[in-house]
Amino acid sequence: MNKLLIVIFVLFAMTCPPANAGPESSPGRIVSLAPSMTEVLYALGLGDNIVGVTTFCDHPEEAKKKPKIGGMSNPSLEAIVSSRPDLVVMTTDGNPREVEERLRSLKIRTYVFKARMLHELPGGIRELGAAVGARARADALARDVETGLARSGAQGAGKPKKKVLFIVWPEPLIVAGPGTAIHDAITLLGMENSAARAKTAYPRYSIEEIIREAPEVLYIGKGSGMDMIAVSQGILKKLAAVPAVRNGEVCYVGDGLYRLGPRVIKGIEELAECVH
Amino acid sequence: MRSLRYWMFGAVTAAIFCLALFAGPRTINPFEMNGMERDILFSIRLPRVVVALLMGMALGASGAVLQGVLRNPLADPYILGISSGASLAAALGLLSGFYFFGSVSVPLAAFIGATLVSLLVGVFGWKRGGLWPERLLLAGIGLNFLFSAVLMLLMSLSSDEGLRRAVLWMFGDLSMADWTLIPSASVFVVAGLGIALWRSRALNALILGDEFAHSLGFAVQRERLLMFAAMALMTSASVSLGGTIGFIGLLMPHIVRFLLGADSRVLIPASAVAGGAFLCLADLVGRSLMPPLELPSGTVTALIGAPYFLYLLRRKDVLSI
Amino acid sequence: MSSAFSGPILEFRGVSFNYPGEKRIVEDLSFSVGNGEFIGLLGANGSGKSTILKLASGMLHPAAGGITLWDKPLSGYRNKDRAKLLSYFPQHLDVNVPFTVREIVGMGLYPYDIPPQMTVDEALELVGLADKAEVPVTNLSGGERRRVFIAMTLIQGAGLLLLDEPLANLDIKYQIEFLRLLRRLKETKGMSVIMALHDINIALQFGKVMLIKSGSILGAGSPETVLTGVRIEQAFDVAVEIKKSDRGNAYIVHEQW
Repeated sequence: MNKLLIVIFVLFAMTCPPANAGPESSPGRIVSLAPSMTEVLYALGLGDNIVGVTTFCDHPEEAKKKPKIGGMSNPSLEAIVSSRPDLVVMTTDGNPREVEERLRSLKIRTYVFKARMLHELPGGIRELGAAVGARARADALARDVETGLARSGAQGAGKPKKKVLFIVWPEPLIVAGPGTAIHDAITLLGMENSAARAKTAYPRYSIEEIIREAPEVLYIGKGSGMDMIAVSQGILKKLAAVPAVRNGEVCYVGDGLYRLGPRVIKGIEELAECVH
Repeated sequence: MRSLRYWMFGAVTAAIFCLALFAGPRTINPFEMNGMERDILFSIRLPRVVVALLMGMALGASGAVLQGVLRNPLADPYILGISSGASLAAALGLLSGFYFFGSVSVPLAAFIGATLVSLLVGVFGWKRGGLWPERLLLAGIGLNFLFSAVLMLLMSLSSDEGLRRAVLWMFGDLSMADWTLIPSASVFVVAGLGIALWRSRALNALILGDEFAHSLGFAVQRERLLMFAAMALMTSASVSLGGTIGFIGLLMPHIVRFLLGADSRVLIPASAVAGGAFLCLADLVGRSLMPPLELPSGTVTALIGAPYFLYLLRRKDVLSI
Repeated sequence: MSSAFSGPILEFRGVSFNYPGEKRIVEDLSFSVGNGEFIGLLGANGSGKSTILKLASGMLHPAAGGITLWDKPLSGYRNKDRAKLLSYFPQHLDVNVPFTVREIVGMGLYPYDIPPQMTVDEALELVGLADKAEVPVTNLSGGERRRVFIAMTLIQGAGLLLLDEPLANLDIKYQIEFLRLLRRLKETKGMSVIMALHDINIALQFGKVMLIKSGSILGAGSPETVLTGVRIEQAFDVAVEIKKSDRGNAYIVHEQW
């Protein structure tokens, strides 16, 4: 009798999937609630399985053609349900918690990507890979990221710490503070983020403070299709006293580090190139 | 003539209710639903429409009550600072990641914020044994400025994501509406509505002025207090359900007065019904205009309400001003 | 209700009043109003007329002394019961909400659980507004609005009407019209009226006046006895001469400016 109970219990436990893991096979239909997740899923070869993305998902090009289910903070529940997903992939950075609860109450399988720091990315990719049945490719991608991170870390070792600042938007002045992948990359490359003492991730920074911090290198991120070179002329004039501007050490870089996804390595390389 | 208007009124609101359930952004045919559509209808659309109804009813009735209590046709539940108090509390909850009560945390915070502000307004509006309309109004405006300023301070210090969520909350977010909050919110809305209807004759008398109300045999301060409490209950429940959605409290009583007259016994329930229908409609438009993007219902009510309100001002005969 | 009663319907005994922390507005005031009287409460602005009326209506409570209404303490009445006996008219009729005439007059029914004798239509007939029953009150003239509220009072059945300066802001023609209406109602319905006013000439035509200064009564009785040159000067701080017209009506002539 006891043996029977144990067998039944084991069978039961095996067939009840725990919340965040999943079956080994790929879920047929995936909805992504974050651009970074879309990029990772494509990198894992699951692009064809994606049946819904946010309006911000613009990498790779094919993602733009996928059906849209809304924004990151306010996705449309109806649109998600109508896509009949086998899995919804979301993050803790940008998607509200309520969405996860709501989806679960609608009996929709949801995976929450928890990695937020650069060094957590490979682990996060591996976990996601396990959940979507793409372990091998996830491992390969994770290893790529790890190699890239190690390489960049080695580059930065032993050098005197340069003070740098990453401008996300010139007017009003918004910079990359702690808690962002950008900040992690700067630290990894052995440099010092002049905005490290900020309290939030993308603070509106005081120009005075920056002049006092005197960063030696200024990065200006090119995102959102604007002509950043033109738009940033104003702020560069205001920061004329800063060493970076005086010595012409101003670099325009891409938006690789804006999302914790496969393109972070490229983003880090861009940062490194400028300094040499 | 009046009974024809009542029938038309009822028919229009019923039609809107059905539209909201079955139309946009994707039409659901109630007679030929598959499993997924049934799911959508009952788990997503129905709670959403019920929330919109509850909120709209609460706000419409609160507007009617407040315009009578303050004897001011421009009164709206938010003029007394209830919206900025609730927004501040909700923003604090959202930005601090307050999750102690699970998904009910932020609504609970908003409810407490709204109730606290109502109490504060009552305290500042109190003098010599009663609430006075002018004092209430001034206290409310002062508190409104105060809480708005604190809220702006909070928002300028917060991260992007928190900011975005706080702003979306304030604009009125019905997208995550589910059945959890509906029972408790209904209790408050029904209680407030009940009190308001029970004392609607007193409200009629109050509108004539304190002296006439007293002359007709009403305990003026007690009636005012009751009405104020009813309004606070309903408004607090409303903001906890779906944020601060404006214009309904201001606009609905004027429209109803024009169509059905000023008697509070009709004005209060009809403003409630009109408010419910209007918000259902606004929500329907908000989620159907640019799918899958959902415009916050608060923006839609303001975008429809404000121009219509200005048009009414020009017509001279509609607004009781 | 009112016809059988023989005692004073309203009596003030040593009434004093002040708002908390402020000085006395009314000091040791005593008077009584008999059944069916039509009294003019005359005094300068700020002499305490409004306060006396509000005390009589129960809106304000005396700091000292007592008020009785139909021989029962005023404070002892339940609000609704008092409303069936007494009604109060403020100086400013400030209604900007489009209630119809019928709706406002109908509010006179509020104190009642069982409807009283008079119907809304009868009341409207009595004040001459029967043809305007469905008109929003916001579309009426000032004089017409006053009549609407009088009609409301009629339904209320109030035996005592307290009016605070109802003639202010009315043209002379409408003042006379209003006074005639009140007198007609008093005669047909047996209402008693206390009316505050500051126009001395009109007061001279009343049957009984009470002259008020600084919350005290300078005199109460017929205008001939109360409104003497001396007293009027005391109350209004203006020297006047009292003349009589050819028809025997008294009027005042005040000092040259």
